[in-house]
Amino acid sequence: MTVETHSTELPAAPSPHLRVSGIQKHFGGVHALQNIDFEVARGEVMALVGDNGAGKSTLMKVLAGAHIPDEGRFWLDGDEISIDGPQTAAQKGIQIVYQDLALCENLDVAANLSLGHEPTKAGWRFLPRFLRPIDELEMEIRAQQAIDQLEVRTLRSVRALVGGLSGGQRQAIAIARAVGAKSSVVMLDEPTAALGVAQTRQVLNVVRRLRETNHAVIYISHNMRDIFEVADRICVLRHGQNVATWRTAETTTDEIVVAMTRGLDQGGKHVR
Amino acid sequence: MSDKVQLRIVDRMRIIRQSRFGSFVPVLLALAVIWGYFGLAMPLWQYWTSPDADSVNFIFLSSRNIYNLFMQSSVTATLAVGITVVLLLGDIDLSAAATAGVCAALLGVLALVGVPGWIACLIVLGVGAMMGVAQGVLIAYIGIPSFVVTLAGLLGFQGLMQKILPTGNLNVDNDFIRGFARILLPDTLGVMLAVALVAVMAFAVMRRQALRRARGLEGDSAFVAWGQLVFVAILVFSTVFVLNSYRSVPLMVVLLVGVTALTGWVTTSTPFGRSIFAVGGNSESARRVGMNVKRIRVAAFGIVGLLAALGGIFGASRYGSVSYTAFAGGSLLLESIGAAVIGGTSLFGGRGSVWNAILGALVIGSLGNGLDLSGASAADKLMFSGAILLLAVAIDAISRPPGLSGK
Repeated sequence: MTVETHSTELPAAPSPHLRVSGIQKHFGGVHALQNIDFEVARGEVMALVGDNGAGKSTLMKVLAGAHIPDEGRFWLDGDEISIDGPQTAAQKGIQIVYQDLALCENLDVAANLSLGHEPTKAGWRFLPRFLRPIDELEMEIRAQQAIDQLEVRTLRSVRALVGGLSGGQRQAIAIARAVGAKSSVVMLDEPTAALGVAQTRQVLNVVRRLRETNHAVIYISHNMRDIFEVADRICVLRHGQNVATWRTAETTTDEIVVAMTRGLDQGGKHVR
Repeated sequence: MSDKVQLRIVDRMRIIRQSRFGSFVPVLLALAVIWGYFGLAMPLWQYWTSPDADSVNFIFLSSRNIYNLFMQSSVTATLAVGITVVLLLGDIDLSAAATAGVCAALLGVLALVGVPGWIACLIVLGVGAMMGVAQGVLIAYIGIPSFVVTLAGLLGFQGLMQKILPTGNLNVDNDFIRGFARILLPDTLGVMLAVALVAVMAFAVMRRQALRRARGLEGDSAFVAWGQLVFVAILVFSTVFVLNSYRSVPLMVVLLVGVTALTGWVTTSTPFGRSIFAVGGNSESARRVGMNVKRIRVAAFGIVGLLAALGGIFGASRYGSVSYTAFAGGSLLLESIGAAVIGGTSLFGGRGSVWNAILGALVIGSLGNGLDLSGASAADKLMFSGAILLLAVAIDAISRPPGLSGK
């Protein structure tokens, strides 16, 4: 077994964009996250894997500000930051695309992409912001830019209703919405879970495109094939603890699966 | 876009359906069927079957009847516009007619004790908005379903109206209040308003097309853009000319159109309106992008309260009296909700238009009016209303653009 050659240290990588250290989180008596270290660099896809209950979702929600950790420190580009809620995380450029996407199917793509921060026409300053007329053209242009940036080629028009789009297109729209909000860290929760082959390919292309546009991507998935296709590094969690982080090129599916299910140091000796 | 020429009729129908005016199609169809039946088929049938009739009697399509139809439908339409706003959220308001009743009763009492008409109207509008907001707070912040809160409101406000009007009836002869229904626009002014309206719309269409081209966006299909304009122009001019040929355009109808235009603009073209659609479509999505869902719901119920109060004022003005049966105790509530739903507004939220509510109110009004003219019993009226409601919703469900199933 070659597992011993990997230390639990993070392998050298481009300087991390977002880094967290010593994250502790309890839910009542459950110690969900135990001293977790995690980092992701710009222009990198970091896969976050682990069995059910390993703490992936909890860690993701901590990063997105949806859970406040009991202990732990955050750094963004080397500066220590504190995240005390989803709004703060969003301000710092950390965006999350939940599995349920939460798109409005009754609205078109452009409206979904600028939902909550619609551009308004100039010259209506005498009205409160929520009653100023929406600048539909500006909205469409921004939407088109966001879609072009992610190279979603199958989308016919930004004026198409989201209700009529395919699963892959919706996932792409949800990602575009997260990216459009001036984000630098994009977290994707099981983005290909419910998709067919062609749709998965489309979403993975969008993820690659996010890397090319210098975003830090955190990719949570159970699908080893997708992970090995798209991730640069793979971070394995088990029972709320770090197991290790590998470079995708230097590991195998079997090794990751073993790490997920049995952990590392035991090396198969202390199988429970 | 040279391939536009090859579009088939079906494709064109699809395009129209997906445009902003597209949802007009089913409700207009329902209206055309009802008018065709009562206006043409019934009189001709009577003429051919009864030997003693000496001429065809097109009483339903007479300008006098259409004038009355518009006036009758105005109160229902005002309430329906408000109810549409809460339906867009996915909520329902069962108390709108009772709110209108309380407001009308209060208006009558205020006018009776000598409060100037315009002050009384403002007070009543404020009271209506507060009644809506109070229910909205219970729904949004306490978390009681809107059906329950407004059902309680329906009962409570019915009682409140009876408290205000122990006799159940009160005449209103304040000139200001009666003015809404009595004041008629001079014929020329009505035509000028129509011309101005169509000109403004034409300008807006051209400007929009030019801006889209200038900024390199895909253009609207010219067929749809100008088709919509021609369609609206026909609707506006025919309405004005018909009303002019009997009396003239009543102030109430102009106010109703104005209020609907304002509500329509707010719901479709402002961030607030967009948030209403977003909450109706997926409230979790709205919450995640930072919208204050609770405040939006309270505001929407405030709007329905305000419009219910306006409906109360219109009703008091038109009938010249306030009676329990005309508002809270009558069929006004179900007719208003029916009007909104016939107009194609989804009960599940996120889809609909306030303009359609007016057409829906006309459908309900025409049905009642036509059945009255043909001497149908109250029982027949109820059964026909139920059938037409089902029919309109069925047409809407069948012709809905793909991707919006279930909504």
